[in-house]
Amino acid sequence: MVALILVRIVSFAALAYLALPLVVLVGASLTTTSFLAFPPQGLTLAWYGKMLGDPSYVSAFTTSTLLAVAATVVAMLLAVPAAIAIARYRFAGRRLLSETLMSPLILPHVVLGAALLQYGSAIGLVRSFPALLVGHVVIIMPFVLRAVLPQLTDEQKSLEDASADLGARPLTTFFLVTLPQIRSGLVSGAIFAFIASWINVELSIFNTTAELTTIPVKLFNYVQYTIDPTIAAVSGLTIIVAAIVIVLLDLTIGLDVLSERRR
Amino acid sequence: MSRTLRPVVLLCALPAAFFVAFFLAPMAVVLIASLTTPGGQPTFAHYLRILADSYHWDVLWVTFRIGALTTLICVLIGYPLAWYLVRTVRFRPWRRFCVILLVVPLFTSNIVRSFGWMVLLGRNGLVNDGLIGLGLIERPMRFLGTELGILIGLVYILLPFIVLAVGNALAKVDPALEHASADLGATPAGTFRTIIFPLSLPGLMAGAVMVFMLAVSAYVTPALLSGGRITVFSMLIFQQYSSVFDFNYGGALSITMLVLTLALVAIAGRLSEPGRA
Repeated sequence: MVALILVRIVSFAALAYLALPLVVLVGASLTTTSFLAFPPQGLTLAWYGKMLGDPSYVSAFTTSTLLAVAATVVAMLLAVPAAIAIARYRFAGRRLLSETLMSPLILPHVVLGAALLQYGSAIGLVRSFPALLVGHVVIIMPFVLRAVLPQLTDEQKSLEDASADLGARPLTTFFLVTLPQIRSGLVSGAIFAFIASWINVELSIFNTTAELTTIPVKLFNYVQYTIDPTIAAVSGLTIIVAAIVIVLLDLTIGLDVLSERRR
Repeated sequence: MSRTLRPVVLLCALPAAFFVAFFLAPMAVVLIASLTTPGGQPTFAHYLRILADSYHWDVLWVTFRIGALTTLICVLIGYPLAWYLVRTVRFRPWRRFCVILLVVPLFTSNIVRSFGWMVLLGRNGLVNDGLIGLGLIERPMRFLGTELGILIGLVYILLPFIVLAVGNALAKVDPALEHASADLGATPAGTFRTIIFPLSLPGLMAGAVMVFMLAVSAYVTPALLSGGRITVFSMLIFQQYSSVFDFNYGGALSITMLVLTLALVAIAGRLSEPGRA
């Protein structure tokens, strides 16, 4: 009984701890003062207006979004065939391949960012959109693999075999049989990949410039010198977007990952 | 070519080539740079310099201490929270809300989350105001620029990983096992100790290893919450690449960090293998 009460106390404290920074940032972004204040003094959307009127923020938002979309598309095009090979065929080097493709997950991103910068300067691929893109693809491919691999089950394999026996060509089988069955994995993999790219700092920071920068890197450079309600508005916007995406995810594919097994 | 080899090559050629070109090759370049002089002569000098400099040992010690403490606190808070979400909450909308609250920070950049704590932990921030209001302290405490500040930020950022890992493991425990245990006369505490906890251990270890890795290699959160007063290892690496431009020495630092982190994770993995605990 005592243990249960303790669990409740810790849990409520932890939930408050999780909510606090988000509430404070969104709150502070609404203040009418010219400095960060929480609770906000007065309510205004002026700081959001200021952010949207600043071309450097708009361009950073655009770069981040284009980069995340491009990286997600490339990562899907590379990861899905690799996942099919890993799930469907037994070949020498299969484990090595899957472990290599997953390893960016356990590699410090600062190390990888530094490596890409050094390698990029040798081959002439630095501080440009393509330089950012290749790095992002490397770090988000594991998210796609992790979401798609468990969905390529053996039961499906027999459907694919049936399709092949009936004379369908491999590509036809892929589009008509395999793809529809792994759709939810593709969707969640793509969303996690997109987000991982969209919020990345450690990797991007090596290859951004004053003109070409992503929104998290721009925030990072800013926050170290100035703190004003515009920053809170930019942060507030990213929090609100994240919350909307998650509620949509919850309503479509269901996020209730922690529900107990049906009794 | 055998019947399996052809489709495998077709499917894997591009992804493998991409990874060789933009992952393995860059890592190899760092490794080679760490073992050569700027002129290209082989040398161990960079590693010897790391070993000889006590400053680096201090930074390593701080980095791994922060990593270990972050992991410990995350486990102590995360396990009860996972238990609460999986086992205690019966009201579904509230649980959904809690899970969303757990996941929203994961979808928000480290910058934004750390910035939130910069605001909260400032001299006149809400935390100091609250502590003074409660009469716990008289004057504002300094959080920014202290290890405590970094810990608060890192635990915040990494807590969801532990809760999700433990929560998944707890959700998979077959209720029949508990009923059987209770029928055989075990107390709830006994059932927890002998049945549920061991079954949740793989999830707990996986989460803890993940948290430790991310805490040790974190750059953004320590950079923002240390206020320049505390240096962690990833900052040393970043400095070498972005302001000192010593890629050879930076490479040696990178490889050192990678090897130490992977070694500790491998040891943790070994210890958590079933039958060894």
